[in-house]
Amino acid sequence: MAILCDKNSKVMVQGITGGAGKFHTERMLEYGTRIVGGTSPGKGGQFVCEKPAFDTVAECVEQTGADVSIIFLPARFVKEATIEAIRAGIKFVVVVPEHIPIHDMLHVREDAVKAGATVIGGNTAGVMTPGEVNLGIMPDIAFAPGRVGTVSRSGSITYYVADTLTRTGYGETTCVGLGGDPVLGSTFDEILWKFEEDDKTKAVVMCGEIGGVYEERATDTITKMKTPVLAMIGGITAPPGKRMGHAGAIVEGKMGTAQEKLDMLTEAGAHPCRTFLDIPETLKKLGV
Amino acid sequence: MRLYEFEGKGLFKKFRIPVAESYLARTPDEVYEAVGRMSTRVVLKSQVLIGGRGKAGGIKFAGGANEARTVARELFKLKIRGYKVDSILLEPMLEIKQEYYLGVTLDRANYKLVVIASGEGGVDIEETAEKHPEKIVRKSFSIHEDLYTFDALDIAKKIGIPQELIKDGAAIVQGLYKMFKAYDAKLVEINPLVLTGDNKLLAADARVSLDDDALFRHPDLKEMDIEMRHEEGEMTPREKQATEWGIPYLDLGGDIGMFPGGAGFGIMGNDFISYFGGKVANFMDSGGGPSPERIAKMLVLLDENPNVAAIFGARFGGISRCDDFAKGVIMFLKDHGLSKPMVMRMTGNMWQEGVRLFEEEKEKNPELFKNVEAHGIETPIEEISKRAVELAKARSGGAK
Repeated sequence: MAILCDKNSKVMVQGITGGAGKFHTERMLEYGTRIVGGTSPGKGGQFVCEKPAFDTVAECVEQTGADVSIIFLPARFVKEATIEAIRAGIKFVVVVPEHIPIHDMLHVREDAVKAGATVIGGNTAGVMTPGEVNLGIMPDIAFAPGRVGTVSRSGSITYYVADTLTRTGYGETTCVGLGGDPVLGSTFDEILWKFEEDDKTKAVVMCGEIGGVYEERATDTITKMKTPVLAMIGGITAPPGKRMGHAGAIVEGKMGTAQEKLDMLTEAGAHPCRTFLDIPETLKKLGV
Repeated sequence: MRLYEFEGKGLFKKFRIPVAESYLARTPDEVYEAVGRMSTRVVLKSQVLIGGRGKAGGIKFAGGANEARTVARELFKLKIRGYKVDSILLEPMLEIKQEYYLGVTLDRANYKLVVIASGEGGVDIEETAEKHPEKIVRKSFSIHEDLYTFDALDIAKKIGIPQELIKDGAAIVQGLYKMFKAYDAKLVEINPLVLTGDNKLLAADARVSLDDDALFRHPDLKEMDIEMRHEEGEMTPREKQATEWGIPYLDLGGDIGMFPGGAGFGIMGNDFISYFGGKVANFMDSGGGPSPERIAKMLVLLDENPNVAAIFGARFGGISRCDDFAKGVIMFLKDHGLSKPMVMRMTGNMWQEGVRLFEEEKEKNPELFKNVEAHGIETPIEEISKRAVELAKARSGGAK
């Protein structure tokens, strides 16, 4: 089992004829991802990697049975593209581009909740179910099928964590990139709960960072979970009041400092880790 | 993007939120001239992109043009929490009977817009919220919703706006909410909203922050001379240089130059260095899919920083390809040369190509790589972090 997507997922690519769309379609196919087609308004009828492009998501869904979509489009088109996918019946949408306007994401989120769809991103590296689906831009080399789930704001942290799990023989069920933008399609608690409901996932590594609001939301869920949660938060040593990289990683006064987040999660029952190498050690202690 | 008070008030006018008549002055002489045209005592308000200017002495009063000019000379010399005063907003001094707080902001965790109001304005609203939550009125709205008159009236009543002004108060609440949506705001705040001696409601201050990522939708801001600005108060020369090159960069004072990939490990890598007993010189973020030129520039910033004793490189390529990363490093080694020891790890997408480029160049030109220790996926990043700390210690010789 896996969460969000597996080898049966029929994936479509919105923006399949663009530079990034083409490049990553090819890579995802190489991994074995079942890509069935894509969209590019005005370019219906063309083919990319032998997969058909359509003008609209509805056409693509009708002709190919696509049930998952990944978006490679400029930020300003993401709101419409995501809502188009949701309204065409797609239940899982991955938003790779970064810098999506915040108000746009609020619209997207409302549509997604109403339709019972899951959106992740913006600014996500995607979702990887090793051995089955690479849905996004993650580098294959870090991953191997296994028994630990991961969810992280940052792409590179996902790779480091997976690399550590792979190297130490734990492997991963599914790795989810929540995204680095300030307002995200999904939150830690929602993804954690999906892992809780997945039989194969024996533990979850959650990696947050300084700033933002989504780590705090996870505490109630962690309290309710039977599956152990390991938590890492980036930015413990960051000076307050400085803006660091990710649009989301801004400390506003006392709000969202890394140490506070880590303390809150630990109090809720998560096992804190400082470096990636602490992860296998903690898993060992937990008997995972 | 934060706006200056005078810019925020310019937007307020568009939404019929009443503000005092005002003048903007950029020199003491302009202050003199403007105050000459005003018949009352005036308030001189330093325009800076940060709160707390009152406490920092950035707001002064004056009786006439001469006094105002003298006061302005002092204000223009002021630095408020690192921000220089470039302009002063002049307004007639108001007789104030009551101060309210009114703001619209985002509740990101719950995906809502929130109107916050209080009968006690003019103070730090977060403090009031913490100590006296009962004095705060909050109403949440979904992005699809309008704020109707009945809700606005309810808010105005709850914060104690006098009955005869209740419709004016409600109109201000609605105007502020409309403005928040119309301009893709993250925050719009009137603190204080004042009840004047002659029984009028006026927005006495304006704090507005807009979403940088949505500015493309608001070309009219440019027509109002509101353009992207750098919001940090004081930048070091290197931070300035990095900003010009479009690289997110902060000086942090230690001696290990951080040359990471994206922001994620850019942030966490700094923690690792601390855990292993080192101190980082900087934060940096390559951004997604950087070009070789950008990679080379990142290294220039570190190599030319005299505080940097060693460089710690980490690239786990996702959307950023290792071949581009390797090209950038080679470009830097050839064009600029590396004067400090560097330990780095490169893996992820296209790593084979990255390694091949390194080997090829090394064979032709081994001298270029004399300060480089390059590793791949076989070495955990923790080992690389420790090595960077060692290298920096060896070079700084414990002199620090």
